[in-house]
Amino acid sequence: MSLRDSAIVAFAETKVMEKSDRDVWELDAEVLDALLERSGFEKAEIDGLVMAGFGLTAAGESFWAQVTADQLGLELDYCDQVHIGGCSATGSVARAAAAIDAGLCTTVLLLFADTGVAENNRGDRSFRREWTDPYGVFGPPDAFGLLTRRYEHQYGLDYEMLGKLAVTQRAHAVLNENACEKLRRPITIDDYLNSRMIADPIRLLDCVMRCDAASGLLMTSRRRAREKGIDKFVTPIGYGERTNFQGGENFVDVTRSGHEVCGKRALAQAGLALKDVASFHPYDDFIIAIMLQLEAFGFCGRGQGVQFIREMNFAFDGDLPLNTGGGQISAGQAACCSHNLIEAVRQLMGEGGARQVRNTANALVSGIGWINYSRNWGTSSALVLAPNA
Amino acid sequence: MATATHDLLDDTFGVTRAIKPSSFTQPFWAATREKKLIIQYCRATGKYQHYPRPTSIFTGRKTDIEWREVSGRGEIFSWTVVRRAAAAFRGHEPYVVASVTLDVGVNVIANLVNCSLDEVCIGMKVVPYWLPIDDGMHLLMFEPER
Repeated sequence: MSLRDSAIVAFAETKVMEKSDRDVWELDAEVLDALLERSGFEKAEIDGLVMAGFGLTAAGESFWAQVTADQLGLELDYCDQVHIGGCSATGSVARAAAAIDAGLCTTVLLLFADTGVAENNRGDRSFRREWTDPYGVFGPPDAFGLLTRRYEHQYGLDYEMLGKLAVTQRAHAVLNENACEKLRRPITIDDYLNSRMIADPIRLLDCVMRCDAASGLLMTSRRRAREKGIDKFVTPIGYGERTNFQGGENFVDVTRSGHEVCGKRALAQAGLALKDVASFHPYDDFIIAIMLQLEAFGFCGRGQGVQFIREMNFAFDGDLPLNTGGGQISAGQAACCSHNLIEAVRQLMGEGGARQVRNTANALVSGIGWINYSRNWGTSSALVLAPNA
Repeated sequence: MATATHDLLDDTFGVTRAIKPSSFTQPFWAATREKKLIIQYCRATGKYQHYPRPTSIFTGRKTDIEWREVSGRGEIFSWTVVRRAAAAFRGHEPYVVASVTLDVGVNVIANLVNCSLDEVCIGMKVVPYWLPIDDGMHLLMFEPER
């Protein structure tokens, strides 16, 4: 598959809301409108639709992509929904590129819309019903409490350094007008350390807050983009994905993840070394997930995350700009977890505004999807983007 | 920062649990009626697996799986204190959820009971504690080996 034959020609996002008073399809329509306006494409030129599957509103409807296409009046040659949890947004880019490359369609609308706070239709049918619900395991915070405690046991952990990540992301959210307004106030490392315990040692300021929002991308073939006279676009140049890392083993090191595999693969495909990564947009559901990814991608050795965080400046104008829109933890977890992807595209298009990064040679985006039993997480993904590549 | 060490832990015994075994997990739950812990064992690889699956996670062959009774002795792999619970457990916080490595080499997630926060640590030896639930079944929990 040649990822590089596709081009992201426009991005769009709504503001992140604590709770939407508008229907999810109205948000979809707002995103579509903005994408057509920015790209100069007509609706009739869209012949593909890829929707992220991590939608709590969508969860009650088995035909979600089709009913949404009908709501928006789209006639399609390719219609898909990507179900890999928090990896669905990055996974949608790879699948859209694959569909374009295979000739299944030419121009794809990628939609990441969810109003899960206002309307949560999710049901759970997993191991949880028999094997963790009876023990009052609340889900992600408790799983990350277990993971964090184990990490601390194996390597030691300086919580101030996790606080440093939280503070940096929050400072970025303050500069992001689309971030959830409730979260747009600066915090200190003490605020982080003193925030109340949720599932020891997970604190409130470790956790993502579920919000409502929508975002989207318009992707087409590079050739079509050129034909349209579009000279500013972003290209996926490397992608890797691993579901159920070590899934055929009965006892695993929970501090390791599939990013060890898919990170290498994405960077090799992109022809980049880690030192070449210009900005990093790691999936953040809990602060420690960022540190675990710094290790798994190889920015530092296993167990050396704290030391690496101490040495680095992750601000948008620092050594390794990280989640420059605030990340999900400070912008709000919304729009099918697409925030970090959209931010990376925005930065590479030079539309970062007050938080614009200097080096726009590329951006590395990651995903984390689902929480499994006695492991770390279900799916890991890595996507490398480059402008006009 | 509040220190957690002197908090009184809830044993969550007061929470009503309803278990609906599936077609392939039914043997596990049936064994709990006699407070027996059985774990799936893969004959082809000589390894145990938990939680119970419809096939061997090692070979993908359903016929490689059998159930074996195990002692249930183990040690704490990791633990957390739940301070904000799901609806059914609300009001019972704080309580401990632990991941326990059984001596047959699998991790089991369960509540840790009859234990104070001062005691709990990674590596602590634990044994099964069986909580009676619906239908004559029991729920596997763990308590410190005394």
